[in-house]
Amino acid sequence: MDLDHESTARREAWKRRVLSLAAVAGIAFVGLLGQLWYLQVLEGGKLQEMSERNRIRIRPVAAPRGILFDRNGLALVDNRPAFTLSLIPREIDDRDTVMARLSVLLKIPLSELQEALERVPPDSFRPVRVRRGLTLDEVTKVEERKLELPGVVVEVEPQRVYPTSTFAAHLLGYVREVSDDQMKQGRYRRGDMIGQSGLERLLDEYLRGRDGGERIEVDALGRPVQVMRREEPDPGAQVITTVDRRIQEAAERAMAGRSGAVVVMDPRNGDVLAMTSSPAFELDRLAGNLDKEEWLKVIRDPLTPLMNRALQSQYAPGSVFKVVVAAAGLQEGSLTPMDRIYCNGEFHLGQWTFKDWKEGGHGHVDTRTALIHSCNIFFYQAGLKVGPAAIARYAEAFGLGAPSGIDLGGEKAGLVPFADGRRRVDGRKWQAGDTVNMSIGQGQVLVTPMQVARMMSAVANGGVLWRPRLVQRVERVDGSLAYSSSSKMTGRVDLSPIVWAFLRHALSGVVNEGGTGGAARIPGIDVAGKTGTAQSVNKSDAAKGQDHAWFASFGPAQDPEVVVVVLVERGGKGGQVAAPIARQIYQAIFLEKVAMVQLGEDG
Amino acid sequence: MLRLDRRLLHNVDWPLLGAAFAIVILSVICLSSLGLGRGGSGLALRQLMWVGVGIGALLVVVTFDYRSFVRAAPALYLVGLGLLVTVFVLGRMVSGARRWIHLGPLTFQPSELFKLIFILTLAWALTWRREAQPNSRGTLGWTFALVAVPFVLVVRQPDLGTALVLLPVLGAVLVGVGVRLRILGGLAGAGVALMPIAWFFLKPYQRDRLLVYLDPFRDPLGTAYNVIQAKIAIGSGQLLGKGISGATQSRLAFLPERHTDFIFAVFAEMWGFVGCLVLIVAYGVLVLRGFEIAVVTREARGRIIALGITALFAAQTLINLGMVTGLLPVVGIPLPLMSYGGSSMVVSFMALGLLLSVRMRQFQ
Repeated sequence: MDLDHESTARREAWKRRVLSLAAVAGIAFVGLLGQLWYLQVLEGGKLQEMSERNRIRIRPVAAPRGILFDRNGLALVDNRPAFTLSLIPREIDDRDTVMARLSVLLKIPLSELQEALERVPPDSFRPVRVRRGLTLDEVTKVEERKLELPGVVVEVEPQRVYPTSTFAAHLLGYVREVSDDQMKQGRYRRGDMIGQSGLERLLDEYLRGRDGGERIEVDALGRPVQVMRREEPDPGAQVITTVDRRIQEAAERAMAGRSGAVVVMDPRNGDVLAMTSSPAFELDRLAGNLDKEEWLKVIRDPLTPLMNRALQSQYAPGSVFKVVVAAAGLQEGSLTPMDRIYCNGEFHLGQWTFKDWKEGGHGHVDTRTALIHSCNIFFYQAGLKVGPAAIARYAEAFGLGAPSGIDLGGEKAGLVPFADGRRRVDGRKWQAGDTVNMSIGQGQVLVTPMQVARMMSAVANGGVLWRPRLVQRVERVDGSLAYSSSSKMTGRVDLSPIVWAFLRHALSGVVNEGGTGGAARIPGIDVAGKTGTAQSVNKSDAAKGQDHAWFASFGPAQDPEVVVVVLVERGGKGGQVAAPIARQIYQAIFLEKVAMVQLGEDG
Repeated sequence: MLRLDRRLLHNVDWPLLGAAFAIVILSVICLSSLGLGRGGSGLALRQLMWVGVGIGALLVVVTFDYRSFVRAAPALYLVGLGLLVTVFVLGRMVSGARRWIHLGPLTFQPSELFKLIFILTLAWALTWRREAQPNSRGTLGWTFALVAVPFVLVVRQPDLGTALVLLPVLGAVLVGVGVRLRILGGLAGAGVALMPIAWFFLKPYQRDRLLVYLDPFRDPLGTAYNVIQAKIAIGSGQLLGKGISGATQSRLAFLPERHTDFIFAVFAEMWGFVGCLVLIVAYGVLVLRGFEIAVVTREARGRIIALGITALFAAQTLINLGMVTGLLPVVGIPLPLMSYGGSSMVVSFMALGLLLSVRMRQFQ
C-alpha cells in the first residue's frame, strides 16, 4: 500500500526538516506574544488612555467657496452655513433598517438614499452627502433619533447665499453638486459643489479651494466632545469683477416682468458694469435638491430662463443698425450731412413698395433728422447709395457678425449678410430689396445685445472696440494674485473725427430733441442713443406689438462714461418700451447728479 | 471506504480538535459580545451555524481516505480554476474586489476553497511519479507551473491576502520534501527582484497599505486608521482586558472590519494579555500537533498534506495576528476559526478533517 519503503536516513531527514519548520513557527508565535506584551503591558497604560480620550471620528471640512465682489467691493454672492445630511457607510450596521427609518423621518425616497450609498465602498468612513440644505426642523428630527440612526450625521457646510434668488443669475451662474458625467473627468470628488454656469463655472478652479479635515472626539453616544486636530480647508480665492452691483440691481429692477437683456458697459475700457437676462433662473433652487421633473420643467420652460439672452440670443438690430449705415455712408462719401429728401412714408423700388413706420412720413429730413426720427425712407435710399458691400464691411468693423470675445462661454456670433459672396444666406441671388431691408437692420442681419453694447462703445469712445471684461482679478486668501486681466482692445473703427462728432450729436438729438428716444431723456444728463424696433424672425410673432424693442445708448454724450443697451423681446416699439427702461438705469447710475439737478430745479 | 472502523477512531487527535473547538468557542463569545446592545447577536448565531456546517464537512472529509482526494487532485484543480474564473464573470464587487460568488442568499469565496485544492495538488504533483526527485528540474518546473496559474488569478481578484498565504505554504512543503535551500533561496531572491515590477500591478489601495505599514502616520485620516485603531484597541486591553461592556474601541465601531479580519483586536481589548495568551496557546497547540502529524506520518502524500495544512494554519494565523498587532502590513486575511465568515470557517474545518484523516491512517 505504501508508496515508499524509505530508509531510516530519509525519515530522519524529513523529521529534521519538519521540526525546523515547526521551530520557525514556534519562534514566530513567541515573537507575537512579545509584541502583545509590549502593546498590552508595557504600552498598555498609554494606549488605554488614548482609547479613553481617542474616540475619534473623521469629518471632512468643506472649503468655503470664494466670494465674488463687484468693482466697489460689495459682495455679489456670499456663503452661509447650511446643514447637510450625510451617511457614514462604515457605521451603518443594519443598512435596510436605518435607511427605512431615515426615509420615513425626512420623507426622502428610499431609492435616493440607496443610490447614494451604492456609489461608495461600504467600509468607507468618509461621509456621503445625501441631502443639502436641511431645515432646522429636519435637523432636530435627526438629532432626536440619533441612537436609532447609527451612521447618520448632520454636517455644517458653507453654502452659497444670494442677495435675491435670481440676482445676476446668468452672470454669476449656479453651483451644483458634481454630476456623474463630470465625475468622469477625474478632477472632482463625489459630492463636490462646482460651478455649472457663468462665472462660477469659468472660475471654478479658483473659487473651489481645497477641503480640509477634522478629527473629532465623540462620547460613548457618538456626540462630538471636542475637535482633536483640524486640517484647515483652504478657502477659495476671491474674485473682483467689473460689475457694479448698484447698476446690476437697477437693470434687473427695470427689466422686471419683461423678457430680454440689458448690457451696461464702460466705453472707456470695455468693463461690463451690468449684464442681465430675463427671465432669470433661481440660483438657489438649481443648487438644491431638484428632482428630475423640476429640472425638466426649467429646461423646457418656453421662456428659456437658462439662456443668457445678452450673449446667446440673436435678434435683428432694427433701426439701431442705421448708425452703421450712416457711419459707412459719411466716411465713404456716399452720404453727406447735407443730404435732404422729402419723406412721404413710401418708397418704391421696381414693383415693390417699402413703407415707413410712420403713417404719412416725416416730411423734409436730412441725415441728422433722419437718424433722430429714425426715418426709414431716408435710409432705404442711403443704403442703396452706400451699397451692401460697404455696409457689410462697416458692420464687421463695428464688431458685428463675430463673437465679442467675452470669457463666458456659449456666445453667439450674430450674422452680417453680404459679408462674403454676394448671396443671401439662403443662397438666393442678392437683390436691391435685400439692401433696402438691410439698411434698416431687418432681413438677415442678426446681433446679440453684447455686440450692440460693444458697437455703441465704439461710437461713444471714437472707434475703439474692447474685449468685454467681466473679471478684474482673482486674489487668493493670502492676498496674492491668482489671475488678473486688463482691458484689451480687439478692433478699431477708423472714421474721421468729424463723422464721430456728427454721429454723437445726432444720437444726442434722438433723446433730447424730440426724437424717437425722448422717453430716455433725463434733465442734467445728456443721454445719446438710438431706438430700434426689430421684426421678430419668427413669422407667428409678426403681429403688432410682437416686435423686439431696442434702445442702444451712451451718456453723457459729450464725455461718455457708460453704454446702456436694452432689448425687450416682443416688447413693441423701442422708443416706447426700451428707452424708458434705459432711463431708469441711467437714473440709478447718475443718482447724485440727477438729485442735484432736481434740487436745483425745485430750489 | 465510507465506514469508520474502531481503529481509526482510536487515532483521532483529541488535543488538535480540542484546541480548534476552544478557538471556535472564543470566536462565538467574541461575536455575540459585539452584538450586545446593538440589535441582537445575529452574527454569533450565523457563525454557530457555519461551525455546524463545518463539523459536517469535517466528518465527510474524515470518512474518506485522503489518498482518494490526492488522486482526484487534477480534477479538483480544474474545478477550482473554473471557480476562480467564474468569480470574474459572476462575482459581485465588494469593496473594490471580486472574491465572492453569490448562490441565492449565500456567498461563497472560491479562493478559500482553493487553498485546500492547492495543497492536494502539491501532494499530487510532488509524488505522481514513484521516483519523483524533489530537486529535479522537471518536478520543480511542473509544480511551479501548477501553482502560477491560480496564483495570478487570485492576485487579480484582487485578493492579495490569499495569494500571500499560499507562498509560505508552498515554501514549507518544498522545504519539507527536501528541495535544497540553495534553490529555494534563489527562487526567493528572484521573487524579491521582481517586487518592483509587481508594484505596478498592485491596486492603489494595496500600495497605500504597504506604504502605511512603513509609516503608519503617513495618512492618519485615511488608510492608517485601521492600524492605529487596532493598536489602541489591543493595547488598551492591558493585562486583564476591559471585559465586554468596557471595550469601547470595539463596541463604538472605531475598529473597522471588527468581526472579520480584525476580530483579534476585539478579543484582545476585551480579555487582555491573559486572554490573548490562552488564544495563542490554543493556536500553538493546533499548529504543533499538525507538525507532529507531519513528522510521524510515513506515507509521502499524507506527509505533504499534513505539512501543507499545518503551514496554512500557521501562516494565516501569524500573518493575521502580525497585521492586527502592527507587525505586518494590512492584507485581507481572516484569522482561521475565529473571524466571522462561512467560507473560511467551513474550509478550516475541512482542512482539520484532512489533517485528522492523515493522522488516523498514518500507519496503514
